[in-house]
Amino acid sequence: MKKGYAYFCVQMKRGRKVLPRHLLVNLLVCVCMGVLAFLFLERGILSEGRQKYRIGIVGNVTDTYLGFGISALQSLDDSRYVIDLVEMSGKEAEQAFHRGELNGIAYVPDGLVAAVESGANDKPITYVVSEGQKGIASIVMQEIVDVASDLVTRSQSAIFAMQEILVAHDRRDILLKATEDLNLYLIELVLSRSGLCEVEELGMADGLSVITYYLGSILLLFLLLCGINNCLLFTRRARELPGFLAAKGIGCLGQTMGEYLAYVFLLGICLLEVLGVLALAMGKGVFSVPEWRHQETEALWRFGMSMLPVAAMFGAMQFLLYELVEGVVGSMLLQFVCGISMGYLSGFFYPQGFFPDTIQHIGRLLPTGVALGYTHSSLLGEFSWAATGGVVLYGAAFLALAVAARSYRIRRG
Amino acid sequence: MEIELTGLYKSYKRKQVLDKVSLTANPGDCVGILGGNGCGKSTLLSILAGVQKADAGSFLYQREDLLRNGKLRSEVLGYVPQGNPLMEELNAWDNLRLWYDGGAIRRELEGGVLEMLGIGAFLKTPVHKMSGGMKKRLSIGCAVMANPKILLLDEPSAALDIVCKEHIYQYLAGYKAQGGTIFLATHDIQELELCDQCYILKEGRLMPYSYDGDIHRLAGEL
Repeated sequence: MKKGYAYFCVQMKRGRKVLPRHLLVNLLVCVCMGVLAFLFLERGILSEGRQKYRIGIVGNVTDTYLGFGISALQSLDDSRYVIDLVEMSGKEAEQAFHRGELNGIAYVPDGLVAAVESGANDKPITYVVSEGQKGIASIVMQEIVDVASDLVTRSQSAIFAMQEILVAHDRRDILLKATEDLNLYLIELVLSRSGLCEVEELGMADGLSVITYYLGSILLLFLLLCGINNCLLFTRRARELPGFLAAKGIGCLGQTMGEYLAYVFLLGICLLEVLGVLALAMGKGVFSVPEWRHQETEALWRFGMSMLPVAAMFGAMQFLLYELVEGVVGSMLLQFVCGISMGYLSGFFYPQGFFPDTIQHIGRLLPTGVALGYTHSSLLGEFSWAATGGVVLYGAAFLALAVAARSYRIRRG
Repeated sequence: MEIELTGLYKSYKRKQVLDKVSLTANPGDCVGILGGNGCGKSTLLSILAGVQKADAGSFLYQREDLLRNGKLRSEVLGYVPQGNPLMEELNAWDNLRLWYDGGAIRRELEGGVLEMLGIGAFLKTPVHKMSGGMKKRLSIGCAVMANPKILLLDEPSAALDIVCKEHIYQYLAGYKAQGGTIFLATHDIQELELCDQCYILKEGRLMPYSYDGDIHRLAGEL
């Protein structure tokens, strides 16, 4: 016991030697992430430069109505921030499509306007996308084309009906003005469609707002990737040391616990540093968490303290990975790949609802998924026995495996 | 005989590394173990040190089996493996502090074994900035400061300069004179001069060998 404590003290000393560098790196990471988050969330600076869908329009668009419609979409409609419509010939469009410069081609058939004018909808616009884009974007595009086609047909039918009624009532004197007015009214309806309904966000997952969800995810990702920053603490050790320590009476359990406790202590200090930065940013009004209204800083610290078990669990996992792989490069790569892939599957980057059911189940069962569940409970100020139990169980399992790995390493010599 | 090694077996999968290894030694003896690369010298010492487990056999010290009595083993045995089992980020003082209290270290630095090994000169130097000789002296210092009765040394002077070797040999000669027993795995002819008895480890078996200065005969035996 005395030797084990002495070993823990030595590990703390090792930790203290590397701590300033770790804190500096963490601070830099926080500043970089803070600047990016600020640009994305507050200023929307990057939204203007984000990638737009480029759609090629092929066919005769010289008709007044169609030309007016396309130029209205390009200059007045909200879709201009997302979609670029480019008029081009069929050959040009196909070449650009194969070069990857276009996301899709909309073929406007000859006689479309005439068909619409006669009240028919039998000449559909064909929209072509590549195999790899059969995702949500192409579904949305197809819906837009369907809606536009439907709107144009029904609007035109309304205009014809109005014209017939005016003729039947012998009001040809106002026919032209009434047609123009109805056209403008219908266009106004389409262009101001965003006012037709009010979108209310219920939250992303577990009832959390976007900012709260990502606050938890970023903190978890930070704890996960801390393992990379701490690599020198694990890899810069003599190969003979574990065996020597064992021979001197500090067995695999004493060694593992001494090193692990010191490591978790370091991780805790790193967590405190990040919480300090977040509290500062919150105090300055850089961001706010809707779930913590009126008591934000206090809630942040309470949340941060409740994350210590997760830090301990992630610490055990990182410890195990370093036990399994020797060498700086291999260990760092393993930490990075495990951290990013498990974080991705568990919903650190996108909410789990984005993934298929099987992936969602796997993601929830992973240590990162259990940690995310625990974090969401903590963010809402709740306590979940299941999530806490999962975190504790995973932590204990990783530690047991780390002890076994250390024992094997000692026996192997 | 105070120290008796009897019927030690060790195999890795199908390879028999140690096959009924036995020897005896008295206090003040230095036992040299020679052999080619990979013959099992380091394995033998690490088993004696308790790092690895033997398949069978005993290592008796005053009729107590050190292979099964870890507490006694850690009290009477000092072990210096081939590499240097030190904490790279820490300095010599911190490495010593892991095993001994500050007062004992200061005493040994003023007229004790640590002074003899010249550790005081680089006490505050981080291990990663030390030369190979400094690290080896510190490793030996960590192992012997508790004044063990038996010292296991695995190629202690490998890759060291002449001055360093001389320091270490001087210390070992003094250790022997005080009644300490040394088990020395080596490739170095110069180290054989310290030995009172020599053995060659070949194909897992330990055979007595008398070194007469004929290096060609020795090479033939290995």
